[in-house]
Amino acid sequence: MKFVISRDALLKPLNLVAGVVERRQTLPILSNVLLVLEGDRLSLTGTDLEVELVGRVQLPAPGVDGELTVPARKLVDICKSLPEGNDIEFNAEDGKVTVKSGRSRFTLSTLPAREFPSVDDSIGTHQFALKQGQLRRLIDRTGFAMAQQDVRYYLNGMLWELKEGRMRVVATDGHRLAMCTLPSDVDTQEDLQVILPRKGVLELARLLMEDEADIGIVLGSNHLRATTADFTFTSKLVDGKFPDYERVLPRAADKCVIGSRTELRQAFTRTAILSNEKYRGVRLKLVNDAMEIVANNPEQEQAEESVPVDYQGDSLEIGFNVSYLLDVLGVLSGEKVRLSLSDPNSSALLEETETDDSVYVVMPMRL
Amino acid sequence: MHQEPGDRTSPRKIIHIDMDAFFASVEQRDNPELRGRPVAVGGSSARGVVAAASYEARQFGVRSAMPSVTAKRRCPALVFVKPRFEVYRAVSQQIHAIFRRYTDLIEPLSLDEAYLDVSEDRLKVGSATGIALQIRRQILEDTGLTASAGISYNKFLAKIASDQNKPNGQCVVRPEQGEAFVAALPARRFYGVGPKTAEKMAGLDIHSGADLRACEMDFLQQHFGKSAEYLYRASRGIDHRPVKPDRVRKSIGAERTYSEDLEEEAKLREALEAIASTVWERAEKHGSRGRTVTLKLKFNDFRQITRARSLEQPVASCNVLAEVGQALLAAQLPLPRGARLLGLTLSGLESVKAEKAPAAGIAEAHPRQGQFAF
Repeated sequence: MKFVISRDALLKPLNLVAGVVERRQTLPILSNVLLVLEGDRLSLTGTDLEVELVGRVQLPAPGVDGELTVPARKLVDICKSLPEGNDIEFNAEDGKVTVKSGRSRFTLSTLPAREFPSVDDSIGTHQFALKQGQLRRLIDRTGFAMAQQDVRYYLNGMLWELKEGRMRVVATDGHRLAMCTLPSDVDTQEDLQVILPRKGVLELARLLMEDEADIGIVLGSNHLRATTADFTFTSKLVDGKFPDYERVLPRAADKCVIGSRTELRQAFTRTAILSNEKYRGVRLKLVNDAMEIVANNPEQEQAEESVPVDYQGDSLEIGFNVSYLLDVLGVLSGEKVRLSLSDPNSSALLEETETDDSVYVVMPMRL
Repeated sequence: MHQEPGDRTSPRKIIHIDMDAFFASVEQRDNPELRGRPVAVGGSSARGVVAAASYEARQFGVRSAMPSVTAKRRCPALVFVKPRFEVYRAVSQQIHAIFRRYTDLIEPLSLDEAYLDVSEDRLKVGSATGIALQIRRQILEDTGLTASAGISYNKFLAKIASDQNKPNGQCVVRPEQGEAFVAALPARRFYGVGPKTAEKMAGLDIHSGADLRACEMDFLQQHFGKSAEYLYRASRGIDHRPVKPDRVRKSIGAERTYSEDLEEEAKLREALEAIASTVWERAEKHGSRGRTVTLKLKFNDFRQITRARSLEQPVASCNVLAEVGQALLAAQLPLPRGARLLGLTLSGLESVKAEKAPAAGIAEAHPRQGQFAF
């Protein structure tokens, strides 16, 4: 295999593909990227057996066809540190590959391409397309609520639900839940629920760079495949049942507060400074036209804020992990936010007032 | 061996409780359509195995750990249901709550099985038989599921007795009946006697507990090595192992010795795949996940190696377990000589149980984050 490519054309796909490669591996070859050259088309593949990403690059001129695998991390570091605008020449011989650019020359070890594993995929049963920007919004608005290394493994990912032509994603770690629904219908016939693993969600989000470009999605019984002009992304699905999220949505929230998102966010950010570092608890006191926020820490220090809000009704005192509230206010973009509550032991519902595609539920904290 | 439990004058009272076709019964309880039908809990896919079979399915010869494909062949009407471990764990917690009313000496063996030492008779029920009856009645009332119980003066006998009148039955083996009970047992029923050992025993004309008892210690040692002492005692109805509360399991594994040495890569891989399924199934049953996978290989010269790999996160699926196992195996290929034994172990265990609620006293001192009730 032999070809020449500009550093800048290689770096972007290489970076993304190498992102999939785990630092700690069960098989040596999994720390490599697979390079395949066919004429003037170069493809790069990284995998951890759960998530696979293939990037495609068009070369200015055809090279000598071939395929091999090279250590991903080292290749990325080399390309990154070469000067911008340089060309890089790859030349494979005798189980090694030389990477030349200007007066630099690197000889890297390789492993045979035929030993490079591919992610097993299933037959696609559902297929649809949406704009990258749309998918990005779904993920950006909910991804933060995914559990991380939870023993309830089905929470370590994101639910993708197709129901009556509507696409919805849900993430929860058992304490808070985020849900976002695509405003327009997707064109699929049957209903479906799948769980995309956490890593798959995070890697997929990195590919969504052109809001107006399409991304094609194929879902099978145990995999998801997403295709853009330059990438093919495949992820295994989590084999498990996602909890019934509908049951978690509060139905009896009768106390409705509307406030400025930025004012609330700033007030929470300030009070958080003096909240207990471990538990992050803050106390919300709701009175007519104001929300008072109080935080204490074990050193007996105290922060108090009073934020003007639209509220008329009984007063209520309720505790929350301030980080959970800040996470929500951080991903919302509207000017106003609505907080619906019922009592100190029941969950709170957070939404934007202008748009209704995103819904957040946060369980209170007993302080 | 195990220590004698002090200067005990009266015999212990041990109950072994075993839920009847646990996973399958839970599914039949929760889905009326499944009642009366042969049900297998497990994956129906080509690589799936039966994790549990309902009694209707057992009539067709469907057994747990059987490949789903085989099960379907034996019983074409078999309905496959995906396991819901969170539900099984919740039921397990319910039955443990019942156990705890009677004793603190509870040794869980899996989600659906436990030893109880009720020698103390804390609630003054009067007899272990009475306690077992109450526990089974309470389980039925609280969970809608039936359990069987074995009652005896040690764990070995209690465990065998619980199988005697299954399902929904119990059996007592009193101290004076112990020896006769054991003598009448087929050799196969002794714990640790699998098909291989049973065959070997049959070759030595040992078919029952009585036959075993007639053997001299030297003879047992010569033929059964390490198991000799256990067999010697068990065949006399002796088992001094205490009921160990909250036994923390360190590892879950499985291994197999092959009648012919394995050398070919394809054969090795296939064998390892089967072992991985067994290990995974045990881990599921135990409600644990582990981070460390250990491969054990014993060669035909009896030299043995183990190779382990720890992951950052607990092994999340049977496939991952198999993959890591295969990777460990791949690193040893080609083998220097044929392998007679292959084993896989999962350790660094953590429970899949939802976090425990803090104890009442502490609860007030710390803020408590609310949880969704799903």
